[in-house]
Amino acid sequence: MSFRPEFLPLLAAMAAAAYFCRVGGFWLMRFVRVTPRVEAALKATPLAVMIGIVLPAALRGGPAEWLALCAIALTMRFWRNDVAAAMVGVAVVAVSRGFVV
Amino acid sequence: MTGTAVHTSWDGVKRGFWRAQPMAVGVFVYGVAFGLLAREAGILLAEASAMSMAVYSGSAQLAAASAITLTGIDGGGLGGIGAIVAAILLLNARYLLYSAALWPWLSKTPARVTYPTLFVLGDGNWVLSMAAYNAGERDAGFLLGSGLASFVPWLLGTLLGASAGALLADPKLLGLDFLLVAFSAAMGIGLARAPLPWPNILAAAATALVVDRLAPGGWTIVAAGIAGGIATALTHRPSTRAKS
Repeated sequence: MSFRPEFLPLLAAMAAAAYFCRVGGFWLMRFVRVTPRVEAALKATPLAVMIGIVLPAALRGGPAEWLALCAIALTMRFWRNDVAAAMVGVAVVAVSRGFVV
Repeated sequence: MTGTAVHTSWDGVKRGFWRAQPMAVGVFVYGVAFGLLAREAGILLAEASAMSMAVYSGSAQLAAASAITLTGIDGGGLGGIGAIVAAILLLNARYLLYSAALWPWLSKTPARVTYPTLFVLGDGNWVLSMAAYNAGERDAGFLLGSGLASFVPWLLGTLLGASAGALLADPKLLGLDFLLVAFSAAMGIGLARAPLPWPNILAAAATALVVDRLAPGGWTIVAAGIAGGIATALTHRPSTRAKS
């Protein structure tokens, strides 16, 4: 296993940039007074982010992805288990892509 | 579990680690893909592994690897390094939002817990942990454990891809590229309990639609998250809703 030393400055810069993003938001919150209103906003972000992940994927996807999202909704409705629902979704996508492709 | 104070325990680490295992498969395959690309870019096994440990970010590492194809392993001097750093900051801007949302949880843990936990922060483990927090989880170990559950397969996948170059089956055909979407959909449905938070949902959806057209990728996530948060703050009425 060899490692070229001229890679080190780039590696250090990349690591610093990535870690900065991971702690940056957390540090910024030091300067924000966490009122109930701010807390409500923070509590709202996961659902909003999930919408930001799912909606573009649904728009860009085809029948396989739409079918899978319906399967996830149904599984959640009757089973209320998110891991199971996600696994069902992945299985539906894999199977229906196999048929479509 | 509601009313439990924030704490950190090995039990929590284990709970998070096991709970996040379904996501680990997808991360592993993604890691193999990065390893393969790194190999193509002329990045050696030890270098690719060091990248996966120190940078630990799929989109950022893929972008960096394709830049290295052009510049060589030193990044092409200060200007080239600057360009790669800028790309990483843009691609990972969503982590600023994620870590801000973790403030109520991680501001109550000691630094020796907080900073390693933030180091292994990722999309899957954040989504999972925020859903758990909402359900009453207050053990910060859960965050660390679910983060490690992705960190380990990411490194193992990189090692396999960069060393053997073994071509796994197409992850797309296995549906593994859909894993994060599937989890987000399932947890989103789980989170959206009646009365539905309409300002949040509508603001996030409308913003996602617009931004996805303009600047697809990580920006959609950041914009939707911020829009949902702002809409919630603006419509927040302290008296109407008891704590969930």
